[in-house]
Amino acid sequence: MEQDLKKVHPYLPTLLTDYRTGKLDRREFLRTSTLLGLSAVSAYALAGGTAEADPATGNPLDTQVAEASGGTIRISMRCPGVDNPATFSWVYDSNIVRQTCDYLTRTGVDNVTRPWLLEKWEASEDLKTWTLYLKKGIKWSNGDELVADHVVWNLKRWVDPAVGSSVLGLFKDMLLTEYETGEKDDKGNPKTATKLYADNAIEKVDDYTIRLNGKTSTLAVPENLFHYPALVLHPSENGKFGVNSIGTGAFTLTTYEIGKKAVFKRRDGYWGNPVKIDSVEFIDHGDNASAALNALASKQVHGFYEAQTTQYAALKKMKHVEIHSVSTGQTAAARMQPIHDTWKDPRIAKAMRLALDTNKLLKVAYLGLGAPGEHHHVCPVHPEYADVGFMKQDIAAAKKLLAEAGKPDGFETEIFCKSDPDWEPLCVQAMVQMWKEIGVKVKINVLPSAQYWDIWNQPVAPFAFTTWTHRPLGTMVLGLAYRSNVPWNEAHWSNKKFDELLNKAEGLLDVDKRRVVMADIEKLMLDVGPICIPLWRAFFTPMDKKVKGFKAHPTAYMFAEEWSLEA
Amino acid sequence: MGAFAARRLAALIITMMVVSMLIFAAFEWTPGQVASKMLGPFATPEQVELLTEQMGLNRPAPVRYIEWVGNVLKGDLGYSTYFKTDVNNIIWDRLGNTLLLASIAFAIIVPCSIIFGVAAGMREGSKLDRTISVLSIVTTSVPEFASGVFLATIFVIILEWLPGASTLESGGDWSIASQLVLPVAVMVLFDLGYVVRMVRAAMVDVMMKPYIRTAVLKGLGFRKVVLGHALRNAMVVSLTVILLQINYLVAGVVVVETIFAYPGFGHMILESALSKDTATVEAATLIIVLIVVITQIAGDLGYMWLNPRIRFK
Amino acid sequence: MAQAEQALKVKSSGRFWRRLKLLTESPIGVAGAMLVLFWVFVAIFAPWLAPYDPNANNYEALADPLPNDMFLLGTDNQGRDILSRIIWGSRTVLIVAPVATFCAYVVGCILGLLSGYYRGWVDSVISRLADILLSFPAIVLYILIIMRLGPSAINVIVAVIFVASPQIIRIVRGITLEQRELDYVTAAKMRGESAIYIMLVEILPNTRGPLIVDSCLRMGYTTIQIGVLGFLGLGLPPPDPDWGGMVQETYSMMSTWPHMSLYPAIAISSLVVGFSLLADGLREISLRD
Repeated sequence: MEQDLKKVHPYLPTLLTDYRTGKLDRREFLRTSTLLGLSAVSAYALAGGTAEADPATGNPLDTQVAEASGGTIRISMRCPGVDNPATFSWVYDSNIVRQTCDYLTRTGVDNVTRPWLLEKWEASEDLKTWTLYLKKGIKWSNGDELVADHVVWNLKRWVDPAVGSSVLGLFKDMLLTEYETGEKDDKGNPKTATKLYADNAIEKVDDYTIRLNGKTSTLAVPENLFHYPALVLHPSENGKFGVNSIGTGAFTLTTYEIGKKAVFKRRDGYWGNPVKIDSVEFIDHGDNASAALNALASKQVHGFYEAQTTQYAALKKMKHVEIHSVSTGQTAAARMQPIHDTWKDPRIAKAMRLALDTNKLLKVAYLGLGAPGEHHHVCPVHPEYADVGFMKQDIAAAKKLLAEAGKPDGFETEIFCKSDPDWEPLCVQAMVQMWKEIGVKVKINVLPSAQYWDIWNQPVAPFAFTTWTHRPLGTMVLGLAYRSNVPWNEAHWSNKKFDELLNKAEGLLDVDKRRVVMADIEKLMLDVGPICIPLWRAFFTPMDKKVKGFKAHPTAYMFAEEWSLEA
Repeated sequence: MGAFAARRLAALIITMMVVSMLIFAAFEWTPGQVASKMLGPFATPEQVELLTEQMGLNRPAPVRYIEWVGNVLKGDLGYSTYFKTDVNNIIWDRLGNTLLLASIAFAIIVPCSIIFGVAAGMREGSKLDRTISVLSIVTTSVPEFASGVFLATIFVIILEWLPGASTLESGGDWSIASQLVLPVAVMVLFDLGYVVRMVRAAMVDVMMKPYIRTAVLKGLGFRKVVLGHALRNAMVVSLTVILLQINYLVAGVVVVETIFAYPGFGHMILESALSKDTATVEAATLIIVLIVVITQIAGDLGYMWLNPRIRFK
Repeated sequence: MAQAEQALKVKSSGRFWRRLKLLTESPIGVAGAMLVLFWVFVAIFAPWLAPYDPNANNYEALADPLPNDMFLLGTDNQGRDILSRIIWGSRTVLIVAPVATFCAYVVGCILGLLSGYYRGWVDSVISRLADILLSFPAIVLYILIIMRLGPSAINVIVAVIFVASPQIIRIVRGITLEQRELDYVTAAKMRGESAIYIMLVEILPNTRGPLIVDSCLRMGYTTIQIGVLGFLGLGLPPPDPDWGGMVQETYSMMSTWPHMSLYPAIAISSLVVGFSLLADGLREISLRD
């Protein structure tokens, strides 16, 4: 078997040696080897030891699974319009379609990405060419077999600018090229659009094999295939989703009322493990934190999509409910735009960081559930996290920096944040109290979410507090949020050194080597970066104790086919 | 009478035109692109531009307004950018739900307010009057968001007598009727006191009128005077107040609907307005204007019927 | 009643004291005045009355926020003293509600007077405008204004003006229509007084009776409205305490920590009760005039 490793990926043998000599722990070995295309079953076999997790999903094996039980499980979650899955912008949108349609890969609750509709994948040494092998014998609910043509159709659709999917952004550097359309925008600049850089960028090799011929090295292709809009749809429905849509998943959508509910029934002929429950329903309770809570108390629903911190104490008191939680890299960043005079001097941003006691912030804003924030936006759950020393609160040092920057008496400014989830305004209020200690008076401007998202990456909000979700690799967020001139660079921060280091890190499969580069990046961010990170929050959600087989996922994805209901 | 109706109808049409134009203008004037709201925060600028073009939002506002008016006249209320479906698919259902809630609350408020209001107002300053007045002041002074939250905690969490969410789904062993109890209770609690005081004030006024005093002095039974004369006259004034409550019951129940996750009209307006969903807000507002004006006309007609001396010019 | 008030108009300062004396005869009015004055007192002396900084987080209190010797009304979910927040919050509400109501009155009185005094096209335009604003659902009006201008005390005031002034216009217009036909107005016209003088000096004081009662009720209503806006997430920005916002931040913890939302809710209700009782008392007195 070890001989075959080289075929899957040339780096795998080295990885195995590292693991066996103790340079790499078990978790990292599993993560990286599956990332390189080793099937999960083989990876677990090589890793040896007791199998504490199901190789297919990474779920702990000790979870008690009740006997086939039937029944209906109800979850409180928003039910917006879901007719165009490729354009989803929230995880809860995709949680609905996910019960019917699947991803090519799945990242488990242990943060390891595994093939799902795929049998395995292979990456070339330069990480430019990725070959995806489909599992054979997967049947759609209409009886068709899942073949490479279907997947190619979906991939091409995601990167088609006319569809408007955010998957496009993830594959832009790898597969697409920009061209001028010949039209001009209002300011007279030529309009640009994207297209596949070459005709064979997405290539069907045979009925069960697809090859992505990229033009740049890309590390996170399997992770990107688990991006929430990347649901594989049946081409005959032309990208639309609705009641009775065809899917490869375990359930069929039977009723959908926008803003009210979604009802799924188990279907016959599902290719995966046997499904225990008869149906799953999502009930919309709006944005109000108490309605869902009261519905759970009166057993109208079995659980939530996600719980808020203010609900925690009440949930703890409910005897029939268990709170499931998982550590994540979910956070929010207080970012300062150096394009404005107030934040031009990086010493000021550093002073703002030094003023914060992130241990206290975690306690006051997130009940201590999670980990204290580190201001470089690389979280301890990331494989390439490097411990560069925790930045402690240091008021004297902060004041000194302010004085050096010519603001010995502090200054006044304004921070934008959104009103929900409720920990965000709480956290901002607590940070504002801490900034007061170094003489920086910050006025808080709370906006309803819908309005906040209009300005989050705009220069009209020089100082703002933005949610960032969990991503499996540390480099992923850094690339999205801090690389010069990328659309989500909300801080409008540009640092040549950072860009160089990040490019270097993204080309390194070896976690140890990547971690060395990461240490430099983290130090750079702590010193001259544009952000304060108050906390890493644990994701938690309540579920009725009768519901078995549920695991909290770091990005709140739900897979009802794993659940069962005790009578 | 015909002229009166024609004039009111003309006023109604003008009001609806102006209101719809104001909302259209106001949404044009508030910051933020509709397309970027629909696509969520993580859309690329290209995506936003594309959708803007597809939806025709890059055309001048007057053109879009005229097109919208034309569609409304044809019965097409437009596309809801928040619910991502046609407004017609969503609005009537929500209106029906709220009317259900409102009519139950109304059916309780009207008789209760007349009974309490008359009882308090027939003898001003009596113990009964003081008790009813102070009680109604106190209940009206507790904001709905507070009473809603307190009632839910007591009856849902502590006593476990009632369901916590009123989504009108029968799942989880709770009947639809049981789901309506708390929202109705909060609405009645908040609104009843106000109407009682208005009826009481009208009653006090009537009781001081010379002809009532004369009737009492003439030896007609107090009971007979109250029921026979005073009540009818007090009703004239109260009618307007009571009809105005319909307006509150339909559009003002946002808070109650939000607390109990009730799929109603007010909550729909709140959510769509926050996400700049012009079509839904326009349609909802026009429906409310229609309800307001119809209740006003009903009030005027009722006024004429109860008090035949009044004639409309 | 109009004649009686006209007579009183001559010595208005004397009337004020008479009114005040009359008020003491209405137990309801006295109770209401006491409640309102209590909160005014609290608001004025907030810096001396509040035991702690209302925005300071006490991290030790996070574990047990229930009321105790140190924090008489307990602390909230951020470890802030609830008593201090209620005391400071009285300032917010007693500035925003009266200022909003007063501004709504200024707008309402001016337009109502113009409309009732001039009649004709002025009346048509103003009345139609008021009708239109009245038929607008208040929630849409609030959202439109606050979305455009952003959440702040000033913008909450602007929103209240838009919602409340049409109703005031109607009241003032009605009274003005009645008063302009009376002798004292004709007399003023004969003296050659300007229209502005007649409206502001002659007619306006006579609208006071109904308006004082209405303003007390409206003050209470505005207090609730500010709370509702806070509850819907459209209210005053944190961290400065505002009672509605305090309830909004903590109500989902009702079943475990009821004190966090109960006390601010009681504060709102008591102030509104105060305004309403005061209005009732004033109405009783005006009927006796």
